[in-house]
Amino acid sequence: MNRRLFIKGSATALPATVALQMMSTRFAYAQSSDFSGDVDVLNYALTLEFLESEFYRQGNAAGLLSGTEKTYLEAIGADEDAHVAAISQTISKLGGTAVKAPAVDFGKSFGSAKSFLKTAHVFENTGVSAYLGAAGFITNPDILQAAAGIFGVEARHAAVVGNLLGLAPEGGVYQGATETALTKDEVLKAVAPFLAADSGAMAGGAAVTQ
Amino acid sequence: MENNQIFDGQPVIEFDKESDRRNFIKWAGVVGVGSTLVAGGLGKQWASAQEDSDIGILNYALTLEYLEADFYTRGLDADILSGRDQELVSPIKAHEQAHVSTLSQTITDLGGEPVKKPGFKYPGATFKSKDGFLKTASVFEELGVTAYHGQVTKIKNPDLLAAAASIAGVESRHAAILAGLTGGNPFPAPVEKTAAMAEVLKAAKPYLK
Repeated sequence: MNRRLFIKGSATALPATVALQMMSTRFAYAQSSDFSGDVDVLNYALTLEFLESEFYRQGNAAGLLSGTEKTYLEAIGADEDAHVAAISQTISKLGGTAVKAPAVDFGKSFGSAKSFLKTAHVFENTGVSAYLGAAGFITNPDILQAAAGIFGVEARHAAVVGNLLGLAPEGGVYQGATETALTKDEVLKAVAPFLAADSGAMAGGAAVTQ
Repeated sequence: MENNQIFDGQPVIEFDKESDRRNFIKWAGVVGVGSTLVAGGLGKQWASAQEDSDIGILNYALTLEYLEADFYTRGLDADILSGRDQELVSPIKAHEQAHVSTLSQTITDLGGEPVKKPGFKYPGATFKSKDGFLKTASVFEELGVTAYHGQVTKIKNPDLLAAAASIAGVESRHAAILAGLTGGNPFPAPVEKTAAMAEVLKAAKPYLK
Protein backbone atom coordinates (compact mmCIF):
# COMPACT_ATOMS: atom_id res chain seq x y z
CA MET A 1 0.00 0.00 0.00
CA ASN A 2 3.01 2.31 -0.38
CA ARG A 3 2.16 3.27 -3.91
CA ARG A 4 1.70 6.84 -4.90
CA LEU A 5 -1.91 7.85 -4.49
CA PHE A 6 -3.59 7.96 -7.84
CA ILE A 7 -5.58 10.99 -6.85
CA LYS A 8 -2.38 13.00 -6.84
CA GLY A 9 -2.46 12.92 -10.60
CA SER A 10 -5.83 14.58 -10.88
CA ALA A 11 -4.20 17.93 -10.22
CA THR A 12 -2.34 17.62 -13.53
CA ALA A 13 -3.48 20.21 -16.03
CA LEU A 14 -5.03 18.58 -19.06
CA PRO A 15 -4.60 20.19 -22.46
CA ALA A 16 -7.39 19.92 -25.01
CA THR A 17 -7.06 16.33 -26.06
CA VAL A 18 -8.69 15.65 -29.37
CA ALA A 19 -7.64 12.01 -29.35
CA LEU A 20 -9.15 11.38 -25.97
CA GLN A 21 -12.43 12.80 -27.16
CA MET A 22 -12.30 10.52 -30.16
CA MET A 23 -12.26 7.58 -27.81
CA SER A 24 -15.70 6.51 -26.82
CA THR A 25 -15.15 6.62 -23.10
CA ARG A 26 -17.15 9.09 -21.06
CA PHE A 27 -14.99 8.46 -18.04
CA ALA A 28 -13.75 12.02 -17.95
CA TYR A 29 -17.22 13.46 -18.08
CA ALA A 30 -19.00 11.19 -15.62
CA GLN A 31 -21.41 12.79 -13.18
CA SER A 32 -19.51 13.75 -10.08
CA SER A 33 -22.60 12.99 -8.02
CA ASP A 34 -22.64 9.32 -9.08
CA PHE A 35 -20.42 8.04 -6.28
CA SER A 36 -19.35 9.42 -2.92
CA GLY A 37 -16.16 7.41 -2.53
CA ASP A 38 -14.39 4.10 -2.95
CA VAL A 39 -16.83 2.11 -0.80
CA ASP A 40 -19.73 3.51 -2.77
CA VAL A 41 -18.13 2.42 -6.06
CA LEU A 42 -17.36 -0.99 -4.58
CA ASN A 43 -20.95 -1.48 -3.44
CA TYR A 44 -22.16 -0.59 -6.92
CA ALA A 45 -19.75 -3.17 -8.37
CA LEU A 46 -20.81 -5.68 -5.73
CA THR A 47 -24.47 -5.32 -6.66
CA LEU A 48 -23.63 -6.09 -10.29
CA GLU A 49 -21.41 -9.02 -9.32
CA PHE A 50 -24.15 -10.44 -7.05
CA LEU A 51 -26.52 -10.23 -9.97
CA GLU A 52 -24.09 -11.99 -12.31
CA SER A 53 -23.09 -14.61 -9.78
CA GLU A 54 -26.71 -15.57 -9.08
CA PHE A 55 -27.51 -15.46 -12.78
CA TYR A 56 -24.83 -18.05 -13.59
CA ARG A 57 -25.69 -20.14 -10.53
CA GLN A 58 -29.27 -20.51 -11.74
CA GLY A 59 -28.33 -20.77 -15.41
CA ASN A 60 -25.66 -23.40 -14.91
CA ALA A 61 -27.98 -25.40 -12.65
CA ALA A 62 -30.65 -25.44 -15.38
CA GLY A 63 -28.73 -28.07 -17.37
CA LEU A 64 -29.10 -26.27 -20.69
CA LEU A 65 -25.49 -26.47 -21.86
CA SER A 66 -22.98 -29.16 -22.73
CA GLY A 67 -19.38 -29.42 -23.93
CA THR A 68 -17.39 -26.22 -24.36
CA GLU A 69 -20.39 -24.00 -23.64
CA LYS A 70 -20.89 -25.71 -20.29
CA THR A 71 -17.20 -25.55 -19.40
CA TYR A 72 -16.93 -21.86 -20.30
CA LEU A 73 -20.11 -20.75 -18.56
CA GLU A 74 -19.15 -22.61 -15.39
CA ALA A 75 -15.74 -20.92 -15.46
CA ILE A 76 -17.44 -17.55 -15.90
CA GLY A 77 -19.75 -18.28 -12.97
CA ALA A 78 -16.72 -19.15 -10.81
CA ASP A 79 -15.08 -15.84 -11.77
CA GLU A 80 -18.19 -13.91 -10.72
CA ASP A 81 -18.26 -15.76 -7.39
CA ALA A 82 -14.61 -14.78 -6.88
CA HIS A 83 -15.44 -11.16 -7.67
CA VAL A 84 -18.26 -11.13 -5.10
CA ALA A 85 -15.92 -12.53 -2.44
CA ALA A 86 -13.04 -10.16 -3.24
CA ILE A 87 -15.19 -7.03 -3.36
CA SER A 88 -17.07 -7.93 -0.15
CA GLN A 89 -13.78 -8.47 1.69
CA THR A 90 -12.36 -5.21 0.39
CA ILE A 91 -15.39 -3.25 1.59
CA SER A 92 -15.00 -4.80 5.04
CA LYS A 93 -11.28 -4.00 5.12
CA LEU A 94 -12.06 -0.38 4.34
CA GLY A 95 -14.49 -0.32 7.27
CA GLY A 96 -17.52 -0.07 5.02
CA THR A 97 -20.76 -2.04 4.99
CA ALA A 98 -21.30 -4.31 2.02
CA VAL A 99 -24.71 -4.20 0.38
CA LYS A 100 -26.79 -7.38 0.53
CA ALA A 101 -27.45 -9.49 -2.53
CA PRO A 102 -30.46 -8.04 -4.37
CA ALA A 103 -33.61 -10.10 -4.94
CA VAL A 104 -33.54 -11.16 -8.57
CA ASP A 105 -35.88 -12.44 -11.23
CA PHE A 106 -34.34 -13.67 -14.45
CA GLY A 107 -37.71 -14.37 -16.02
CA LYS A 108 -37.44 -16.60 -19.05
CA SER A 109 -33.67 -16.31 -19.37
CA PHE A 110 -33.24 -20.02 -18.71
CA GLY A 111 -35.89 -21.17 -21.17
CA SER A 112 -33.21 -22.28 -23.62
CA ALA A 113 -29.44 -22.42 -24.02
CA LYS A 114 -29.66 -19.55 -26.48
CA SER A 115 -31.66 -17.35 -24.12
CA PHE A 116 -29.19 -18.09 -21.28
CA LEU A 117 -26.24 -17.12 -23.49
CA LYS A 118 -27.95 -14.03 -24.91
CA THR A 119 -28.78 -12.71 -21.46
CA ALA A 120 -25.23 -13.52 -20.29
CA HIS A 121 -23.87 -11.52 -23.21
CA VAL A 122 -25.91 -8.48 -22.18
CA PHE A 123 -24.81 -8.81 -18.55
CA GLU A 124 -21.14 -9.07 -19.45
CA ASN A 125 -21.08 -6.11 -21.82
CA THR A 126 -23.01 -4.04 -19.29
CA GLY A 127 -20.49 -5.06 -16.62
CA VAL A 128 -17.55 -3.99 -18.79
CA SER A 129 -19.10 -0.55 -19.40
CA ALA A 130 -20.10 -0.19 -15.75
CA TYR A 131 -16.55 -0.74 -14.50
CA LEU A 132 -15.13 1.65 -17.07
CA GLY A 133 -17.68 4.32 -16.12
CA ALA A 134 -17.01 3.98 -12.39
CA ALA A 135 -13.23 3.60 -12.38
CA GLY A 136 -12.64 7.35 -12.39
CA PHE A 137 -14.23 7.65 -8.95
CA ILE A 138 -11.76 5.29 -7.29
CA THR A 139 -8.98 6.99 -5.34
CA ASN A 140 -7.13 4.07 -3.74
CA PRO A 141 -4.59 2.70 -6.24
CA ASP A 142 -4.86 -0.89 -5.03
CA ILE A 143 -8.62 -0.82 -5.47
CA LEU A 144 -8.17 0.74 -8.88
CA GLN A 145 -5.79 -2.06 -9.85
CA ALA A 146 -8.28 -4.69 -8.72
CA ALA A 147 -11.23 -3.01 -10.44
CA ALA A 148 -9.26 -2.76 -13.69
CA GLY A 149 -8.33 -6.42 -13.36
CA ILE A 150 -11.97 -7.43 -12.93
CA PHE A 151 -13.02 -5.15 -15.81
CA GLY A 152 -10.62 -7.00 -18.14
CA VAL A 153 -12.00 -10.37 -17.15
CA GLU A 154 -15.58 -9.21 -17.77
CA ALA A 155 -14.41 -8.20 -21.26
CA ARG A 156 -13.05 -11.74 -21.76
CA HIS A 157 -16.41 -13.17 -20.71
CA ALA A 158 -18.32 -10.84 -23.03
CA ALA A 159 -16.17 -11.76 -26.04
CA VAL A 160 -16.31 -15.50 -25.47
CA VAL A 161 -20.06 -15.58 -24.90
CA GLY A 162 -20.53 -13.45 -28.03
CA ASN A 163 -18.48 -16.00 -29.95
CA LEU A 164 -20.44 -18.95 -28.51
CA LEU A 165 -23.55 -17.25 -29.87
CA GLY A 166 -21.87 -17.05 -33.29
CA LEU A 167 -22.36 -13.30 -33.40
CA ALA A 168 -20.62 -11.04 -35.92
CA PRO A 169 -17.07 -10.40 -34.72
CA GLU A 170 -17.39 -6.60 -34.79
CA GLY A 171 -20.36 -5.44 -32.77
CA GLY A 172 -20.93 -8.93 -31.34
CA VAL A 173 -17.70 -10.46 -30.08
CA TYR A 174 -15.84 -7.13 -30.01
CA GLN A 175 -17.43 -3.75 -29.39
CA GLY A 176 -15.04 -1.65 -31.44
CA ALA A 177 -11.40 -0.69 -30.91
CA THR A 178 -12.15 0.76 -27.48
CA GLU A 179 -14.59 -0.15 -24.72
CA THR A 180 -17.47 2.22 -23.99
CA ALA A 181 -18.30 3.51 -20.53
CA LEU A 182 -21.81 3.71 -19.09
CA THR A 183 -22.96 5.94 -16.25
CA LYS A 184 -24.47 4.49 -13.10
CA ASP A 185 -27.96 5.53 -14.20
CA GLU A 186 -27.56 3.81 -17.55
CA VAL A 187 -26.31 0.62 -15.93
CA LEU A 188 -29.04 0.51 -13.29
CA LYS A 189 -31.63 1.02 -16.00
CA ALA A 190 -30.14 -1.87 -17.99
CA VAL A 191 -30.23 -4.30 -15.07
CA ALA A 192 -33.54 -3.11 -13.58
CA PRO A 193 -35.56 -5.78 -15.41
CA PHE A 194 -33.67 -8.46 -13.47
CA LEU A 195 -34.22 -6.97 -10.04
CA ALA A 196 -37.33 -8.50 -8.45
CA ALA A 197 -40.31 -6.25 -7.71
CA ASP A 198 -39.83 -6.69 -3.96
CA SER A 199 -36.35 -5.20 -4.15
CA GLY A 200 -38.01 -1.87 -4.79
CA ALA A 201 -36.91 -1.68 -8.40
CA MET A 202 -38.89 -2.15 -11.56
CA ALA A 203 -41.03 -5.24 -12.04
CA GLY A 204 -39.02 -8.33 -12.97
CA GLY A 205 -39.69 -10.95 -15.53
CA ALA A 206 -38.00 -9.54 -18.59
CA ALA A 207 -35.36 -11.56 -20.34
CA VAL A 208 -33.39 -11.38 -23.51
CA THR A 209 -35.24 -13.81 -25.70
CA GLN A 210 -35.93 -13.99 -29.48
CA MET B 1 3.19 -14.70 -18.28
CA GLU B 2 5.88 -17.25 -18.84
CA ASN B 3 8.68 -15.69 -20.79
CA ASN B 4 9.74 -18.98 -22.27
CA GLN B 5 6.43 -19.14 -24.15
CA ILE B 6 7.56 -16.35 -26.37
CA PHE B 7 11.07 -17.67 -26.92
CA ASP B 8 10.12 -21.09 -28.28
CA GLY B 9 11.12 -22.60 -24.97
CA GLN B 10 14.59 -21.05 -25.01
CA PRO B 11 15.59 -19.40 -21.74
CA VAL B 12 16.03 -15.67 -21.82
CA ILE B 13 19.69 -14.75 -21.70
CA GLU B 14 20.53 -11.17 -21.09
CA PHE B 15 23.28 -9.65 -23.18
CA ASP B 16 25.28 -12.80 -23.77
CA LYS B 17 26.39 -11.32 -27.08
CA GLU B 18 27.27 -7.81 -28.10
CA SER B 19 24.48 -7.86 -30.69
CA ASP B 20 21.96 -8.64 -27.97
CA ARG B 21 23.15 -5.76 -25.90
CA ARG B 22 22.88 -3.46 -28.90
CA ASN B 23 19.40 -4.76 -29.58
CA PHE B 24 18.35 -3.98 -26.09
CA ILE B 25 19.75 -0.49 -26.28
CA LYS B 26 17.74 -0.06 -29.45
CA TRP B 27 14.58 -1.07 -27.60
CA ALA B 28 15.51 1.18 -24.76
CA GLY B 29 15.89 4.03 -27.24
CA VAL B 30 12.50 3.27 -28.65
CA VAL B 31 10.81 3.78 -25.33
CA GLY B 32 13.14 6.55 -24.27
CA VAL B 33 15.10 4.87 -21.50
CA GLY B 34 18.22 6.73 -20.40
CA SER B 35 21.57 5.18 -21.36
CA THR B 36 22.92 5.09 -17.83
CA LEU B 37 20.00 2.97 -16.76
CA VAL B 38 20.44 0.72 -19.79
CA ALA B 39 24.04 0.20 -18.73
CA GLY B 40 22.68 -0.95 -15.39
CA GLY B 41 20.67 -3.71 -17.04
CA LEU B 42 17.04 -4.60 -16.79
CA GLY B 43 16.69 -3.79 -13.13
CA LYS B 44 13.66 -2.52 -11.29
CA GLN B 45 15.12 0.99 -11.04
CA TRP B 46 15.09 1.13 -14.81
CA ALA B 47 11.44 0.23 -14.96
CA SER B 48 10.35 2.67 -12.31
CA ALA B 49 12.34 5.50 -13.87
CA GLN B 50 10.41 5.16 -17.09
CA GLU B 51 7.10 4.47 -15.44
CA ASP B 52 7.23 7.85 -13.75
CA SER B 53 6.28 9.60 -16.96
CA ASP B 54 2.83 9.44 -18.58
CA ILE B 55 4.35 10.12 -22.00
CA GLY B 56 6.85 7.33 -21.35
CA ILE B 57 4.02 4.94 -20.56
CA LEU B 58 2.08 5.99 -23.66
CA ASN B 59 5.16 5.48 -25.84
CA TYR B 60 5.66 2.07 -24.27
CA ALA B 61 2.03 1.18 -25.10
CA LEU B 62 2.50 2.60 -28.59
CA THR B 63 5.55 0.40 -29.16
CA LEU B 64 3.58 -2.70 -28.21
CA GLU B 65 0.66 -1.65 -30.40
CA TYR B 66 3.04 -1.10 -33.33
CA LEU B 67 4.31 -4.64 -32.83
CA GLU B 68 0.78 -6.05 -32.72
CA ALA B 69 -0.42 -4.04 -35.74
CA ASP B 70 2.61 -5.15 -37.77
CA PHE B 71 2.21 -8.75 -36.64
CA TYR B 72 -1.47 -9.01 -37.66
CA THR B 73 -0.85 -7.24 -40.95
CA ARG B 74 1.80 -9.80 -41.88
CA GLY B 75 -0.20 -12.72 -40.55
CA LEU B 76 -3.36 -11.79 -42.44
CA ASP B 77 -1.36 -11.01 -45.60
CA ALA B 78 0.04 -14.55 -45.43
CA ASP B 79 -3.49 -15.77 -46.11
CA ILE B 80 -3.31 -18.80 -43.81
CA LEU B 81 -6.63 -18.31 -42.03
CA SER B 82 -10.08 -19.13 -43.26
CA GLY B 83 -13.68 -19.20 -42.09
CA ARG B 84 -14.46 -18.15 -38.54
CA ASP B 85 -10.74 -17.88 -37.64
CA GLN B 86 -10.25 -15.24 -40.29
CA GLU B 87 -13.46 -13.43 -39.34
CA LEU B 88 -12.38 -13.24 -35.71
CA VAL B 89 -8.78 -12.18 -36.35
CA SER B 90 -9.37 -9.56 -39.09
CA PRO B 91 -10.99 -7.00 -36.75
CA ILE B 92 -8.10 -7.43 -34.31
CA LYS B 93 -5.72 -5.98 -36.89
CA ALA B 94 -8.04 -2.99 -37.33
CA HIS B 95 -8.21 -2.51 -33.55
CA GLU B 96 -4.43 -2.53 -33.15
CA GLN B 97 -4.09 0.00 -35.98
CA ALA B 98 -6.69 2.21 -34.30
CA HIS B 99 -4.78 1.93 -31.02
CA VAL B 100 -1.58 3.04 -32.79
CA SER B 101 -3.38 6.12 -34.20
CA THR B 102 -5.08 7.03 -30.94
CA LEU B 103 -1.96 6.66 -28.82
CA SER B 104 0.16 8.63 -31.31
CA GLN B 105 -2.39 11.44 -31.41
CA THR B 106 -2.74 11.49 -27.64
CA ILE B 107 1.04 11.74 -27.16
CA THR B 108 1.15 14.62 -29.64
CA ASP B 109 -1.80 16.35 -27.95
CA LEU B 110 -0.01 16.14 -24.62
CA GLY B 111 3.05 17.82 -26.11
CA GLY B 112 5.12 14.64 -26.36
CA GLU B 113 6.79 12.99 -29.29
CA PRO B 114 5.41 9.61 -30.40
CA VAL B 115 8.09 6.95 -30.97
CA LYS B 116 8.66 5.99 -34.58
CA LYS B 117 7.50 2.60 -35.77
CA PRO B 118 10.32 0.14 -35.05
CA GLY B 119 11.37 -2.56 -37.51
CA PHE B 120 10.19 -6.03 -36.51
CA LYS B 121 11.27 -9.59 -37.19
CA TYR B 122 9.60 -12.90 -36.47
CA PRO B 123 10.84 -16.49 -36.34
CA GLY B 124 10.66 -18.00 -39.83
CA ALA B 125 7.79 -20.35 -39.09
CA THR B 126 5.51 -17.72 -37.53
CA PHE B 127 3.39 -17.09 -40.61
CA LYS B 128 3.79 -20.49 -42.26
CA SER B 129 0.84 -22.08 -40.52
CA LYS B 130 -2.39 -21.14 -38.84
CA ASP B 131 -1.09 -22.62 -35.58
CA GLY B 132 2.14 -20.64 -35.67
CA PHE B 133 0.29 -17.39 -36.30
CA LEU B 134 -2.51 -17.87 -33.78
CA LYS B 135 -0.31 -19.21 -30.99
CA THR B 136 2.06 -16.26 -31.30
CA ALA B 137 -0.97 -13.96 -31.43
CA SER B 138 -2.27 -15.49 -28.22
CA VAL B 139 1.08 -14.88 -26.49
CA PHE B 140 1.18 -11.27 -27.73
CA GLU B 141 -2.36 -10.57 -26.53
CA GLU B 142 -1.78 -11.98 -23.06
CA LEU B 143 1.46 -9.99 -22.91
CA GLY B 144 -0.41 -6.84 -23.95
CA VAL B 145 -3.08 -7.35 -21.30
CA THR B 146 -0.51 -7.77 -18.50
CA ALA B 147 1.45 -4.78 -19.87
CA TYR B 148 -1.55 -2.43 -19.68
CA HIS B 149 -2.59 -3.70 -16.27
CA GLY B 150 0.97 -3.27 -15.03
CA GLN B 151 0.68 0.48 -15.63
CA VAL B 152 -2.72 1.11 -14.01
CA THR B 153 -1.31 2.62 -10.82
CA LYS B 154 1.58 4.37 -12.60
CA ILE B 155 -0.43 6.67 -14.86
CA LYS B 156 -0.90 10.07 -13.27
CA ASN B 157 -3.48 11.67 -15.55
CA PRO B 158 -6.92 10.12 -14.92
CA ASP B 159 -8.09 10.79 -18.47
CA LEU B 160 -5.16 8.83 -19.83
CA LEU B 161 -6.01 6.05 -17.45
CA ALA B 162 -9.52 5.94 -18.89
CA ALA B 163 -8.16 5.90 -22.41
CA ALA B 164 -5.70 3.14 -21.59
CA ALA B 165 -8.38 1.11 -19.80
CA SER B 166 -10.73 1.35 -22.76
CA ILE B 167 -7.95 -0.12 -24.94
CA ALA B 168 -6.94 -2.73 -22.37
CA GLY B 169 -10.47 -4.13 -22.26
CA VAL B 170 -10.32 -4.77 -26.00
CA GLU B 171 -6.97 -6.54 -25.60
CA SER B 172 -8.65 -8.77 -23.02
CA ARG B 173 -11.33 -9.65 -25.56
CA HIS B 174 -8.64 -10.50 -28.12
CA ALA B 175 -6.72 -12.59 -25.58
CA ALA B 176 -9.80 -14.60 -24.66
CA ILE B 177 -10.81 -15.27 -28.27
CA LEU B 178 -7.29 -16.32 -29.27
CA ALA B 179 -6.98 -18.59 -26.25
CA GLY B 180 -10.20 -20.23 -27.35
CA LEU B 181 -8.97 -20.63 -30.95
CA THR B 182 -5.69 -22.22 -29.83
CA GLY B 183 -7.02 -24.61 -27.21
CA GLY B 184 -5.92 -22.41 -24.32
CA ASN B 185 -7.90 -21.12 -21.37
CA PRO B 186 -9.81 -17.90 -22.17
CA PHE B 187 -10.25 -17.23 -18.45
CA PRO B 188 -6.87 -17.88 -16.81
CA ALA B 189 -7.68 -15.88 -13.65
CA PRO B 190 -10.66 -14.02 -12.13
CA VAL B 191 -8.61 -10.79 -12.18
CA GLU B 192 -6.18 -9.79 -14.96
CA LYS B 193 -2.51 -10.23 -14.10
CA THR B 194 0.10 -7.50 -14.32
CA ALA B 195 3.63 -7.31 -15.69
CA ALA B 196 6.23 -4.62 -15.19
CA MET B 197 7.60 -2.70 -18.14
CA ALA B 198 11.03 -4.34 -17.95
CA GLU B 199 9.51 -7.81 -17.98
CA VAL B 200 7.33 -7.02 -20.99
CA LEU B 201 10.13 -5.42 -22.99
CA LYS B 202 12.35 -8.41 -22.30
CA ALA B 203 9.68 -10.69 -23.74
CA ALA B 204 9.16 -8.45 -26.77
CA LYS B 205 12.85 -7.80 -27.42
CA PRO B 206 13.46 -10.73 -29.80
CA TYR B 207 10.91 -9.26 -32.22
CA LEU B 208 12.75 -5.97 -32.68
CA LYS B 209 15.01 -5.68 -35.70
